[in-house]
Amino acid sequence: MLKKISIKKISDLAVALMEKGTLLAPVKDAAGHNFAELKDQQQLDLNYYNTIVSPKTVFLPQKEDFIKYETGKPIIEAQSVDLNIKATFLLGVRPCDAKSFQIMDIHFRASGIIDPYWQQRRDATVIFGYAFDLDIPAQDADFYQTLGIGAADPEGSDVFMVKKGEDLLLGAVTPKGEEILAQLAMLGEGKPADKKYFEEYIKKGSQHQTRNMCLDPQVIAKKLEDIFHSGEFWQAQSAACLSCGICSFVCPTCYCFDICDDTLFSQGVRRRVWDACMFTDFTLEASGHNPRTQVYQRLRQKVCHKYSFHVRKYGVISCVGCGRCTKYCPVNIDIYSIIEDAMKA
Amino acid sequence: MTDFKQIENSLKREAKKLLESAEVPVVLAYARGYDEKHPMPFAAKSVADVEKIVFNEYCNFNMARYIMRFPDAAKIAVAAKAADSRAIVVLIQEEKVRREDLVILGISASGMKDPKTDQLIDSRTTGGLYNPVEYDILLGEEIRGQKIVSPYEVLAEYEAMDKEARWAFWKSQLDKCIRCYACRKACPMCYCDPCFIDQNKPRWADKAPQSPGNMMYHLTRFHHLAGRCIDCGECSRACPVDIPLYLFHKKVAKECEEMFGQAAGMKLEDKPVLVDFRVEDSDQILK
Amino acid sequence: MSFEPKILGIACNWCTYTGADLAGTTRLHYPQNLRVVRVMCSSRINPSFIFRAFQLGADGVLVGGCHPGDCHYNTGNLYARRRLAVTKKILEFAGLEPERFRVEWISASEGNKFAEVVTEFTARIKELGPQQKLKIDELLEKI
Repeated sequence: MLKKISIKKISDLAVALMEKGTLLAPVKDAAGHNFAELKDQQQLDLNYYNTIVSPKTVFLPQKEDFIKYETGKPIIEAQSVDLNIKATFLLGVRPCDAKSFQIMDIHFRASGIIDPYWQQRRDATVIFGYAFDLDIPAQDADFYQTLGIGAADPEGSDVFMVKKGEDLLLGAVTPKGEEILAQLAMLGEGKPADKKYFEEYIKKGSQHQTRNMCLDPQVIAKKLEDIFHSGEFWQAQSAACLSCGICSFVCPTCYCFDICDDTLFSQGVRRRVWDACMFTDFTLEASGHNPRTQVYQRLRQKVCHKYSFHVRKYGVISCVGCGRCTKYCPVNIDIYSIIEDAMKA
Repeated sequence: MTDFKQIENSLKREAKKLLESAEVPVVLAYARGYDEKHPMPFAAKSVADVEKIVFNEYCNFNMARYIMRFPDAAKIAVAAKAADSRAIVVLIQEEKVRREDLVILGISASGMKDPKTDQLIDSRTTGGLYNPVEYDILLGEEIRGQKIVSPYEVLAEYEAMDKEARWAFWKSQLDKCIRCYACRKACPMCYCDPCFIDQNKPRWADKAPQSPGNMMYHLTRFHHLAGRCIDCGECSRACPVDIPLYLFHKKVAKECEEMFGQAAGMKLEDKPVLVDFRVEDSDQILK
Repeated sequence: MSFEPKILGIACNWCTYTGADLAGTTRLHYPQNLRVVRVMCSSRINPSFIFRAFQLGADGVLVGGCHPGDCHYNTGNLYARRRLAVTKKILEFAGLEPERFRVEWISASEGNKFAEVVTEFTARIKELGPQQKLKIDELLEKI
């Protein structure tokens, strides 16, 4: 099923989606774009490259309250915080980010234990993927092509959107996508010419150049295992690293979190907050021992987790080449360069 | 206009000399990153490494923050621009490193640019100095004849605001904080291990990126840097959500200079203002 | 129900706290809103205490120490004078009313002064009203 709408009328689409549930799209603030709930249909604007923080915030919020309690009272009296999730429409997800949800699913609902919060949010959300504009060259930091993701790759989306001149084409990718497109009355039908354009665009997308190297997950996994103990390699790569944590926070495939009990006077909340393996105290144990006190150990962990351990455990590289870690790193550390150097080491 | 290439060549020459003669095991400088506009901090450890050194208008990094990573080295060399040299002076004042254990390669430069916007960095948003205050060798020409601009001029707009407007401004700015702690890590003065915000006993703030914790973290950090912040602006450039931290740090620096007659990191023999006192300090400062 | 402010008082053991005791033994009246915490010296005060106090709902914070030159530990209050001056400037620049945080030098024999300062400070805080800027939201409804 292929639908279309004039880009000038995009606010009508926003109105319809806002009526059906919560509409989340990239909203511009002083620093750049980030996914946020649209309160006004005029806010819907498709002129951006990508968001600062990845859309994982939709399914794994940076702060999530679970249980409210009162100290001194029996546990049975603690109250779970209700999710109260409405139908959600996540609009404007780039192909690399759409792919990241599939990788994250491995951890949150495919490895035996299902995270009910992730699950509920995921089930309630329809993903409107949005192809990169093929007329604009990929940004220097991007390398999703290396990871086998095309600039107009519909995988991971429920509906996939492609710009065609003054129009926006919306193609259904999954049954969920078909269902929602059928309900949106303001959308016009895609003509055969549109269908052709859509399919060709997707094909052209896989040729869209980003930084590219031949990267077989098994090969890089083994390579990283071989150089794990090379202090020289990792010291050199991490010499500039501040160990701040920005890379983990903006990354679409980083999922580490911390559970905290925040009590104030006698009232408290048990909540989940994002954590980062780059933080100095990430591996600080109750005994006081910390196996990763040095920056190079933490950077090595990050790179090896994504490109080696994750491959060994789940068969896929835990990275989608979105380039955010490189773009927002205060010292311009580039994971692509590290992997390149590792392959040559 | 600063001749960046000439400084780069001088930097490479001096680094080569220092490493060849084994006077230092490491030279802290800059190298090319994934492209021209994104250089990286670099620790050159051999003559071969020297080839990788670059210096251009995007090399804003304050290399003083890496000094603490080499506790075992007898002596290290550091490339330092104006603000960076002040950071080194503060580290010496706080006895984290000794003057004789450093070879400071001073760099006089103007025309530094922010890679995010490709605009010239307004020197009023940093310390407003072009020449390093302390160095062993000066690379590049000492910059003279620049109009003297007060580093505190940029605060006038905020000082003129009434307190409600100022509160609204800071609340909205600090609410954006995602607690990535890049500001802390980018700062050469934030070397405490553990940092107060990571402590559990006592727990000063929760970890969630929301108002009370954000306020506590930032207000306390502004206080911890009182009389120590040397206005390099790195914290604000590191911030992924563009919080203008440099404004508040500048205000605290201004107040310290007015109350105690001393700016941070200008003279080796000074003591940082909050580890010092004068019997004749005025009680008026508390009003 | 008129507003009764919650005021945190931090008093140094050797001077201000003793001065407060003197105010008590000489039956001087002063408002009950002050909650006093005793420290050995004003320089023990970590500025984060002040920020935290405002977050936890204090409407005003009053710090009392020995007069400069008379510190029981010689120099403690001289450091505290500088440090707390910075704290005040930070609160002011953040947009908090500067009168909510006050530092006074009150000696052990100044029972009168203690009572006067507390009375004056409480009245001023009453005028300023409840402190809501730094107060943690969850506390705003309950306490």
